[in-house]
Amino acid sequence: MKDELLLKVDNLSVRFAVKRGGGWRKKSYLYAVDDVSFEVERGKTLAIVGESGSGKTTTALAVARLVPAFQGSVDLEGEDFLTLEGDKLRQARAKVQFIFQDPYSSLNPRLRAEAIVREPLDSLGLAEVDEKRAIVDRLFKAVGLRPEQQRLFPHQFSGGQRQRIGIARALATQPELIICDEPVSALDVAVQAQILNLLRRLQEEFSLTYLFISHDLGVVQHMCDSIAVMYMGKIVEQADRLSLFNNPLHPYTVALLSAVPSVDKKRRKATRRVLIPGDPPDPVDPPAGCRFANRCPVAQPRCSESEPPLRDVKGGHRVACHLVDESAKSPMS
Amino acid sequence: MSVEDEKIEKARSPFSEAFEMFRRNHAAVAGLIMLILIILAGIFGPMVYAGDPFEMVWAPFSPPGQEGYLLGTDYLGRDLVSMLLHGARVSIAIGLSAALITVLIGITVGAVAGFYGGLVEEALMRFTEFFQVLPTLLFSMVIVALFGASLPMITFAIGVVSWPAVARITRAEFLRIRELEYVTASRASGVSNGKLIFGVILPNALPPIIVQAALMVGSAILFEAGLSFLGLTDPNVVSWGQIIGSNRQYILDASYTVTIPGVAIFVTVLAISLVGDGLNDALNPKLRQR
Repeated sequence: MKDELLLKVDNLSVRFAVKRGGGWRKKSYLYAVDDVSFEVERGKTLAIVGESGSGKTTTALAVARLVPAFQGSVDLEGEDFLTLEGDKLRQARAKVQFIFQDPYSSLNPRLRAEAIVREPLDSLGLAEVDEKRAIVDRLFKAVGLRPEQQRLFPHQFSGGQRQRIGIARALATQPELIICDEPVSALDVAVQAQILNLLRRLQEEFSLTYLFISHDLGVVQHMCDSIAVMYMGKIVEQADRLSLFNNPLHPYTVALLSAVPSVDKKRRKATRRVLIPGDPPDPVDPPAGCRFANRCPVAQPRCSESEPPLRDVKGGHRVACHLVDESAKSPMS
Repeated sequence: MSVEDEKIEKARSPFSEAFEMFRRNHAAVAGLIMLILIILAGIFGPMVYAGDPFEMVWAPFSPPGQEGYLLGTDYLGRDLVSMLLHGARVSIAIGLSAALITVLIGITVGAVAGFYGGLVEEALMRFTEFFQVLPTLLFSMVIVALFGASLPMITFAIGVVSWPAVARITRAEFLRIRELEYVTASRASGVSNGKLIFGVILPNALPPIIVQAALMVGSAILFEAGLSFLGLTDPNVVSWGQIIGSNRQYILDASYTVTIPGVAIFVTVLAISLVGDGLNDALNPKLRQR
């Protein structure tokens, strides 16, 4: 059971057509996700972090077949999820469920809580009518809601309770993979902790696999086994949690980590605040070299000339930076 | 705990909350009562107040109140009360069924365009615009003139010229709602496209469509009145517009023959508008708790 590969994403790209200017000019494309590959083992959590617009949510949506991928493959238990069509696709959706960012818009306001949680069961025909009640009862209990709350409508719940309903819905099909798209960023801090603890407890209880999307490294630190950092549609660094937090290599990761407030004295001393000036470049027309070069404090001429490939520098610690060599030292230190 | 229990006790659906809002709107309730009275008059009036509305019962142009003829007689000596009651049936029936046609075509076109987007949307909206730029009265006159002035054809003509508004509202709502996360969530739950359109998005898109449909009943009645005034109507059936149309030459000599059915149309459309506005306030969450 250990180290069994559940999800293998290879060279995934998602592009959107954008119209620039008027008239009959050629369509240009925005590569929201550009040639991204990663793997998740069963029972583990992979976090994808990055700033807004880095393509992390689009990656999640593409893995779940909620936006069309331009190329690449999403291998789930040996089957390419991206090539499925029609009824097969609908049935396969039971294996991949989604927890959404905004608990205020992710629940259908016309349905009672119980009907929202039951929806996947109804549409996929996963259970007999008389079983459904029991399943919904169990799910409500599992996420910490009281059975009599099943009759309420979404607007009668608080943000945290709504997110619990969203989690119960995601659990309904007994999925292999749950994609959490910033599940706590819309909640206040006290509730965040409750929901994160709930997610961890459920992971143990049902041996769930999470793909956890977040911009908040503080949250990620408590949730994941490994982390991928995305910048402008590309993974710039990928490692297990400890290596990434203790030895961040990519200048962008270093800057991200320095922005995490910490009460740990040692770490606070070790990290001085790294400010990265400017904005990301135009995503429709990305620069030729490293996409971070124009903001990188240690950039060299070659950084804007050729794009650094994502390569393994030390036991699975992968980074896309020209300046990191085999000694696996960050150019920032 | 008790507050919580009370909340569960009152686990009302959004629609029942809207009903509560509507009930508190006095103008809308007044409109609804007027409308119900008019509909009841249309249904039961002709049974209680028996008699053929086309029959000559008294001297022509006798003003209201004479010889037991409450509203007088028209230029052929026909009883205006009887005509008004029979006309109510026709006018309201045309209003309702034309609005129904409008809503059915409009929702189908708007929902498909808004849901699928892309080329489908482009094609359907150009098609809608084609209907929208035609002068409505003229277009419906052409239909009636070509295919005959029967009641179903008049209803059809009104429906065909007025659906673009509903289609555009439906499309706009679909464009907004299809991007919301609960639709994505339903899709992730394996809900099929048909169920997404009619089971998930449409119920949430209904409020503005209901309001538009209610107002559409009023405008369809006006439309029918306009067509009958121009003589494009079934001569064997009384409608309010037709009473006005047939008496229009005598508007200076016997103004009441035109005024009375005019007031009937005015009051009915006013009642429908009040109900429509009340629905709008009740169904539009932004105006709640105002």
